[in-house]
Amino acid sequence: MFACLSSGAVLGIDACLIEVQCDLANGLPTFQIVGLPEKEVSESRERIRSAIKNSGFSFPAGRVTANLAPADVRKRGVGYDLPIALAILIASDQLSAVTERRLIVGELALNGEVRGVSGVLPLAHEAAEQGLKGLIVPSENGAEAALVRGVDTYPIDTLSDAASLLRGDLTIEPLRSDVGLRLSERSAQVTHDLAGIRGQTQAKRALEIAAAGGHNLLFCGPPGAGKSLLARCLPELLPPLSLEEALDVTRIYSVAGLLERGVPLVSTRPFRAPHHTISYAGMVGGGHGVPGPGEISLSHHGVLFLDELPEFDRRVLETLRQPLEDRSILLSRAGVSVRYPASFTLVAAMNPCPCGYLGDSAHPCTCSIRDLHHYRRRLSGPFLDRMDLFVDVPRLPVDDLFGSHRAERSVAVRERVAAARRIQWERMRGSTGRFSNAELTPEGIRTHCRLSGEARTLLKRAVTRFGLSARGHGRVLRVARTIADLEGEAQIEPKHVAEALGYRRQPAGRAE
Amino acid sequence: MAKRPGTRAEERACRLLRREGYQIVARNWRGRFGEIDIVAREGAIIVFVEVKARSGDGFGGPRAAVDAAKQRRIALTAAEFLQATGCELAARFDVVTFSGSGATLLRNAFWVG
Repeated sequence: MFACLSSGAVLGIDACLIEVQCDLANGLPTFQIVGLPEKEVSESRERIRSAIKNSGFSFPAGRVTANLAPADVRKRGVGYDLPIALAILIASDQLSAVTERRLIVGELALNGEVRGVSGVLPLAHEAAEQGLKGLIVPSENGAEAALVRGVDTYPIDTLSDAASLLRGDLTIEPLRSDVGLRLSERSAQVTHDLAGIRGQTQAKRALEIAAAGGHNLLFCGPPGAGKSLLARCLPELLPPLSLEEALDVTRIYSVAGLLERGVPLVSTRPFRAPHHTISYAGMVGGGHGVPGPGEISLSHHGVLFLDELPEFDRRVLETLRQPLEDRSILLSRAGVSVRYPASFTLVAAMNPCPCGYLGDSAHPCTCSIRDLHHYRRRLSGPFLDRMDLFVDVPRLPVDDLFGSHRAERSVAVRERVAAARRIQWERMRGSTGRFSNAELTPEGIRTHCRLSGEARTLLKRAVTRFGLSARGHGRVLRVARTIADLEGEAQIEPKHVAEALGYRRQPAGRAE
Repeated sequence: MAKRPGTRAEERACRLLRREGYQIVARNWRGRFGEIDIVAREGAIIVFVEVKARSGDGFGGPRAAVDAAKQRRIALTAAEFLQATGCELAARFDVVTFSGSGATLLRNAFWVG
């Protein structure tokens, strides 16, 4: 009259095992789910009743109590439908008990079909870590779960299949997935090619540096100069995701329920371009119950593009400050706090003024000083201090526009970027979770950014002259490190520092 | 006591339940909150049966007559019955309906809560 199965709860990108207990007692017919269930878990009672009835079983009479333990962890989502239903079948002797511990997750439809759920990848990880023998998941999530080694994945389609599997009447081959193969599937084709953008050599060079070191970039220029086009080229300049990075990204997308069906592993770098009306919860993460990941986490190991930067709510932009430094975000809500990784390259684009033509040779700017001040005030000093590369994207001269000169292709740039990234990987081997120069810690900067004597003198002068903050100083060093890496040099020379300093310049026409 | 309206329907219901293999335990069991038309046993389950008859299918037919308030009253009475008799079986609620189109037995017609 009692049964116990294992399932799991997703907390951020981690998971913990949940014991699903079911007890049948005599008395008036009731069905209760206890153990801090959220609304959607309590609602599962109706789905479970119907699914059991429509799968050829009968729902037991009397008092049915399902408990989700530990009782102090908030239970969200619809993944508990299947384990609760199976526990009820075992408790009511309609299914013989199983000995082997397996993690079970899945949503039930009224007809007994099992539907996919989000967050299966973290659950599979946890199951493997806790030494569980197998995983019973909706077949929709099978390929995703199979990415994890050390635990067998059994995909099922219906409640009765799951029951037969537990009983031992049905044998399913554990699903295997070849992760290496999936990663190598990246095509050599480039959809947004740098060669398609005329002129703008300086901006392209900055893009290459940003790609090589993962640095933040701010494009500033009049409308139609190509800022957005340039930004869209960035993801394809970046090297392919390593397996470790791909799994990191996939975990986040799994939790967010954004994995495409049949494509279990996110193998291309994310490019997220939220509209400027985005709320702060949408940007950094939030939502009821356990907070979900926001855009900054969805662009982990990829690019977050903020077009029309000053149009964003100032509060939203300010929330970016801390994750830009920490490369992760801690979301604390009543009773629960979760940490999401958020190591992204920020690319922003803005006009120099509200009308867009400040400093433009052909169009007069029609903004008043007041307008200008108001526009500039939307971006705070601390926020701008976190940008590594300030790049002007001026109107294209007529000769460039009609010239026949063909620009360099993305594929060529990608090779240089890949070489520079390889140097960084070698250098940072051993420091977990850090892959690029932009992610260098202060200690990392001290050990890896060795300056030649002259370069040190130059940087020292610049710090006094431009009043660089300590953070600004560190950011110049990181960029200089990347420029040196692009040239394959071990030591940072004055020319690298000089170029890096050149990009610290604030947007054109900023002189008040 | 004069014959209550619906008694004929309850007798028909008892015959139907016996045919289905139920054993009738009590009829018109009265509690503080109301009355249960038929208490029966089916195997190891004690079944509380509500009988509803309507001459036509208008107004949603007889099933619609067992609404939430009625269900609550039946549940309270059933709880009283279990306590009074010391019965320790799993319980279930069934509804037997009679209408123009014939008799229907609804097993597991509703739950408590």
